[in-house]
Amino acid sequence: MAGADLSMEDLYKRSLESPMGGLKNQRVTAIAGALLRRASFFTNYAIAFALILVLNFTLPRLMPGDPFQAIYGEEALLAMTPQLKAQLVERLALDQSMGQQFVAYILALAGGDLGHSYYYNQPVLAVILDFLPWTLLLTGSALVLSTLLGLFLGVESGYRRGRRLDKALLAGLMFLNGFPDFFMGIVLLLVFGVVLGLIPLSGALTPYSGLSGLPLALDILHHLLAPLAALVLVRVTSAYLLTRNTMITTLKENFILAAKAKGCSEGQIKYRHAGRNSLLPVVTATGLSIPQMVTGALFVEIVFSYPGVGSLLYNSLLTRDYPLIQGILLMVTVVVLVGNLLVDLLYSRLDPRVSHAR
Amino acid sequence: MHVSVWREVAGSNLGRAGLLLIGAMVLLAIFAPILTPYAPRENTSTPAFSRPSEDHWLGTNDARQDIWTQLLYGARTSLSVAFGVALLSGFISVLIGGTAAIFGGLYDRFWMRVVDATVAIPDVIVIILVAAYLRPNVFFMILLLSALSWPGGARVIRAQTLTLKERMHVSASRTFGAGPSHILLHHIIPDLGPVLVATMIQDARRAVFMEAGLSFLGISDPSMMSWGKMMQYARVFTYLEVWKWWLLPTGIALSITLIGLSFIGFALESALDPRLREREKGHDGGI
Repeated sequence: MAGADLSMEDLYKRSLESPMGGLKNQRVTAIAGALLRRASFFTNYAIAFALILVLNFTLPRLMPGDPFQAIYGEEALLAMTPQLKAQLVERLALDQSMGQQFVAYILALAGGDLGHSYYYNQPVLAVILDFLPWTLLLTGSALVLSTLLGLFLGVESGYRRGRRLDKALLAGLMFLNGFPDFFMGIVLLLVFGVVLGLIPLSGALTPYSGLSGLPLALDILHHLLAPLAALVLVRVTSAYLLTRNTMITTLKENFILAAKAKGCSEGQIKYRHAGRNSLLPVVTATGLSIPQMVTGALFVEIVFSYPGVGSLLYNSLLTRDYPLIQGILLMVTVVVLVGNLLVDLLYSRLDPRVSHAR
Repeated sequence: MHVSVWREVAGSNLGRAGLLLIGAMVLLAIFAPILTPYAPRENTSTPAFSRPSEDHWLGTNDARQDIWTQLLYGARTSLSVAFGVALLSGFISVLIGGTAAIFGGLYDRFWMRVVDATVAIPDVIVIILVAAYLRPNVFFMILLLSALSWPGGARVIRAQTLTLKERMHVSASRTFGAGPSHILLHHIIPDLGPVLVATMIQDARRAVFMEAGLSFLGISDPSMMSWGKMMQYARVFTYLEVWKWWLLPTGIALSITLIGLSFIGFALESALDPRLREREKGHDGGI
């Protein structure tokens, strides 16, 4: 039978220790457990990151033929002077053993050297940093907006469960969620850009406009609108569904009845009593959705020729600028992992149960 | 929890809609050669960019190829990748998740650590990276996508198996001397059905999406007929009117497949979630 090897538990699933054990002992184990879990969760990120590094290192070297050619691509070799080639071979330690090559690779990375992009004729890091702000702007605003909108719609819809608005929202958002984000982008581009001519067809701001201050901000917003809408329309569903589900279960609780009896207004019950309970799962889900949001943004950028990392990636794939491809994917991984880590930390701050329980 | 997959999905409006959409796509894919007289890469005698006509239901593209034909054969690629990934990744999930739950101990810990680390990896990025070097065809695409999608399923299967293995009938079978493999095959896997199908549908959906995405980026096998690739080519010509019968129908076909899968998945998940299960009639949480 189960339970034979488990310690006894009381009514509330707290483990029953001998009376001598005392509170102090329990708290020490709780803190140790929390530390252990924190450590194990950093290890997960560390392992994930190490795996990407190893992939980045091995993939080009596994390719048949000259590893130098695989690392830099055929087109790059044509444009390369012998001096540059010799210099790069030395930097990559390609004339040495695999182990030494790996050490050289890691050391270079640690020094911020992601390689040299032959297409842009610049260090990869510098190229990426040029493009990154636009992606951060797009992804960040899409994350915030889709979460807030999802919360709002979820609360309203869950409160009216089974009524017309709820049904329409549920079906509509489920439907929108089915679209791949790049196709949503294409549809918006075609309808509002090509047919109606309301939005710019490409770019993040009007070139050579010489704008500054508020007009510049408005111009940037004007260019951001459609890519942002494409992302939000597709991604709002997860926050919405989660909020709706939490609302449905929370509304059955007794404290809601008490709030109603007390004479709280509908808005207070919806947002202050019931809605708050969805905050936690939604924040977690938002954190977990960071990778999808970032990759979604990469695709949407391509559709709108938005000058972010996605367009850069597409361009580097077309020109087969392999160091740049690797650098971009490494940077995106770092952004995603850091984002996830922050949300994990925020989550345990929001919910004291997470850091102590279990 | 005894849930009949078929009854739950077919019993809800969302599930029925999903089945209908996917069923239509499967039929189009299977009967592609009957539904069109052309081959997907055949350069027909019609001029390039011609409008939809009786001979070419969706007109022709820049290389005088019939777009309707390409759409049908694209469905074959999409659906075979989806099917392959669902099967392979589902199989690995059950193998790892199921055995981890049954054997427990160090074996369990090892696999769960692997799963935790793999889930932390942004998989789309790894897939793009590998595809950029290897330009995968259908078979390799299935392997690549499965390699990154099994861990999520394995975690779910493990959790489910942990609860299943404490059931009375499993204990009874153990008392009669059944070994782990017998318990896994005869008692656990049959009851895993609904959860397994739900994860497989999710995997299939991601696979369709990823295949289209990779082809859209131009990093899949160039000889593979694919919706993503059609959209990549068609996107260049948005300044012509051809997007109406080239870009749009392709995107709609892709979206219909994805929407169909997510409807089925949603119908199943709300049937599996006991909190949403509570209902008067029909379980799709209100629809």
